[in-house]
Amino acid sequence: MNAPSRRALVIGAGIAGIQAALDIANAGHEVVLVERLPSIGGRMAQLSETFPTLDCAQCILTPRTVETGQHPNIRLFPSSEVLAVDGEIGDFRVRILRHATYVDETRCTGCGLCQEKCPTHVYSDFQRGMGPRKAIYTLSPQAVPNKPVIDRQGCRFFQTGKCRICERLCPTGAIDFEQEERIVEERVGAIIVATGFDLYPLSRLGEYGAGEIPDVIDGLAFERLLSASGPTAGKMRRPSDGREPREVVFVQCAGSRDPELHKAYCSKICCMYTTKQAMLYSHKVHGGQAYVFYIDIRAAGKRYEEFVQRAMEKDRVIYLRGKVARIYRDGDRVTVQGVDTLTGRTVTVAADLVVIAPAVVAQPESAALATLLGIDVDGDGFFTERDGNGRPVETSRMGVFLAGVVSGPKDIAETAAHASGAAGKALSWFARWEREAE
Amino acid sequence: MKRVGVFVCHCGVNIAGTIDVKRVVAEASALAEIAYATDYQYMCSDPGQALLADSVEREQLDAVIVAACSPAMHESTFRKTAARAGLNPYFCEIANIREQDSWVHQTDGDAATRKAVELIRSMVAKITLNEALVPLALPIVKRVLVVGGGIAGMTAALDIANAGYPVVLIERAAQLGGNMARLSNLYLNLQPAANLLGETVHAVLAHPCIEVRTGTTVDELSGYVGNFTITLRSTAADGADSIRAEINAGALVLATGYDLYNKERLSEYGGGRCADVIEGLEFEDMLRPDGPTGGHIIRPSDGATPREVVWIQCAGSRDPQLHKAYCSKVCCMYVAKQATAYKRQHPDGQAYVFYIDIRSQGKGYEEFVQRAMADHSVLYLRGKVSRVYEERGKMIVVGADTLSDRQVEIATDLVVLATATVPANGSDDLARRLRVAMDEHGFFSEAHPKLRPVESITAGIFLAGAAQFPKDIPETIAQASGAAAKVLMLFTQREMVQEPTIAQVDEEICSGCGLCMPTCPYEARTMHAWRPWATVNAALCQGCGACAVACPNKATRVRNFTTRQVLAMVEELL
Repeated sequence: MNAPSRRALVIGAGIAGIQAALDIANAGHEVVLVERLPSIGGRMAQLSETFPTLDCAQCILTPRTVETGQHPNIRLFPSSEVLAVDGEIGDFRVRILRHATYVDETRCTGCGLCQEKCPTHVYSDFQRGMGPRKAIYTLSPQAVPNKPVIDRQGCRFFQTGKCRICERLCPTGAIDFEQEERIVEERVGAIIVATGFDLYPLSRLGEYGAGEIPDVIDGLAFERLLSASGPTAGKMRRPSDGREPREVVFVQCAGSRDPELHKAYCSKICCMYTTKQAMLYSHKVHGGQAYVFYIDIRAAGKRYEEFVQRAMEKDRVIYLRGKVARIYRDGDRVTVQGVDTLTGRTVTVAADLVVIAPAVVAQPESAALATLLGIDVDGDGFFTERDGNGRPVETSRMGVFLAGVVSGPKDIAETAAHASGAAGKALSWFARWEREAE
Repeated sequence: MKRVGVFVCHCGVNIAGTIDVKRVVAEASALAEIAYATDYQYMCSDPGQALLADSVEREQLDAVIVAACSPAMHESTFRKTAARAGLNPYFCEIANIREQDSWVHQTDGDAATRKAVELIRSMVAKITLNEALVPLALPIVKRVLVVGGGIAGMTAALDIANAGYPVVLIERAAQLGGNMARLSNLYLNLQPAANLLGETVHAVLAHPCIEVRTGTTVDELSGYVGNFTITLRSTAADGADSIRAEINAGALVLATGYDLYNKERLSEYGGGRCADVIEGLEFEDMLRPDGPTGGHIIRPSDGATPREVVWIQCAGSRDPQLHKAYCSKVCCMYVAKQATAYKRQHPDGQAYVFYIDIRSQGKGYEEFVQRAMADHSVLYLRGKVSRVYEERGKMIVVGADTLSDRQVEIATDLVVLATATVPANGSDDLARRLRVAMDEHGFFSEAHPKLRPVESITAGIFLAGAAQFPKDIPETIAQASGAAAKVLMLFTQREMVQEPTIAQVDEEICSGCGLCMPTCPYEARTMHAWRPWATVNAALCQGCGACAVACPNKATRVRNFTTRQVLAMVEELL
């Protein structure tokens, strides 16, 4: 057998994957970083500001994404997926599918002209429906890499056979409608899985309007409204009519802690991000009122408790202990009905905007990925650790490690530590092999 | 004259929403030294950097100023870009027009625009006097000192030792294990804590790369990342004398763990007054088969089996008026575990838990608490306990049930206080000896609350476990491996790269007065061994400039931040 490979494969380039990749690359080892989306940054790139310091997410993230994109030891495969993994620790053979993006990345300079002139607006998952994108697009102006891709379903040329505007305008001839998907093979010694999370769809929450009410949105959509680089440039505008909402109700545990109907577990991050959102809303809309429905306030972390107290006392956010029973449309407002379990009374709030904190769920593809990696997922789709107490970043397969929310809900700080932990395990092996090779 | 280029970043609306960037470009272009000025939506993006690099070549620039966010964010990004374009990276400077301008003057765009031009002008004055510098390379001692032999320290030690680097693991107690050695079993699997701990202790003791020194503490630290010298103090085997020993290490991992808030300070709960009011770790002692009661839960006052047990959570936590403002994070889960263990041992007994919020955040944690309630009939009462007193051989717990809005009184045999988790006794003293920062509660401060959770603010000193903030075992272990990763990252470098923007001494001017020495916060200034002038230890110097200010005859100057440069900048701003 060949000497063990001291290269790592990192699957997923959100903050967990970026952190793990940088730790390994900065230790002098090569990293193959595979990302399903056209650019890196993951969920954190969608966030406005972060608790409990209110640092802007982009501001602290972009130094990392830029470093990742330019790192001589990191080989980045955007718009790609892992197809198969064979072999064992020290000698994994990985097949990676590079989707066709219809843009030749070696020619594209990222000038942005194609995006500007593309006539087709389509739903943007990155903007959570708060704003559209073009059919040829990057996720954000600071995208790494900053090469647009064509979404085949949205593209007028692919659908009708006519258009080709981007191709005509591209100054470097980078548009390539004939481009085909490719498969590349890599040999690596360790694998870090960092595929992150999704949110429980509002459509499954019938009692909360099933996603049919325009002014009932989820937490990530609200992040886009708050974000200075978002579709409203950070202005508070509700989706239905663009009005500034005077009353906003935040609903926690939507689909979490509900073993009968939805998910039994606690999603861990909602209490804090909801508090932050209510606080930021209060800062943006003077005289506006934020309400938060909660079951328990879970503020367990450095300066978290104090942060929630600040929201209550200084920003006058009203916390109501109780579950929301029903949300429905009432003219141009949205009515939220719940019980205040502290007074035992029913509460009804007429709101301009409702922000739901849906359960944090595993990525829909996680079970399939686990199967091809030969490791287990739990009943909720989160990857199973080798031992939840003693080996939180290892899996049942030697050489395959976990980073971040892929193994269960975590906030950014915990994710960063966890991801470095996974990198530490890989580095420990690599250093040993290096010594043996010498 | 140098040809200087200026690049004004919009940062989306963060800058351009307040500052008129086109006007800034126009006014900057009018300056004599400015050969080229332009603006871009996001300078840190790939096209933004390409714009900078291309302009350097096309316009034959000798220096570039990026007017953008704080240098803490992207100075290294742009310096790397400048280097790729063939410039010496120290001919790239940042004019901070976001944190120091657009964000703080949002209501006055015109003034913010003028200020941006002034900031750029002052940076032009500085950059024209910059020198080309080369980073310094320093050797690394590839050995780590881990302080604390609990599960955090041992995990970090093993990860580093498994990579083949020598580890010195010190523990002030006589044995390894830390607080975990007192735990009975672990949530969620209810496996004995001794299994995981024993396995870990065994691996540490058997590891050829780990040298364990128990009964040992840190006395003193000098040096810098890559080359620390640490004086250790060990208790001699006879316990009489202490022995001092010096070791060299390239990095330190602090894993000094936690203590519990002294229950005597909770006299309203009978803490320290009543024998039958105990703390969480004392209850763990009773649950442990090798504990003082052989694993039997008893009432300490008379050894009887408690027919009721009341747990009081947030005892000293979440109480900014009297005790600690923060949440101790681990109590909700260990209380659920303890109440479950009690009910398993005494199915007829009654367990009560007073809580404010139940914080069961983790995989399977919520379900675990639900099982304690549903399968083991643990009664959870939402409310704070106001007092505990003794009456006719029982403890009376008086509290409010905020859900029924009633006062509750429970007569019980045993009260367990989930006292606040506090930094380990003596960690403030250790922080001073090591010069690491602490937060307002005495926990070690991390370098950044989100993205650098395992690094301290001091380069080369890393954090693992509850010494940084309360954490449960899985989180501690993951973080300890994270700290190990940072150490391994450092040790795999051939040499350390140090910023050259540090102090230097003009030996012909220096009078050897020595005023710089006490001024330096990093102990980087010393007198030359035999010549009459002061010297700078390049590895220790952080370039803060305090010595340059203290120097009476301006013999000390900070490279690329000289008195002449600072005065030239001030001139432009006045």
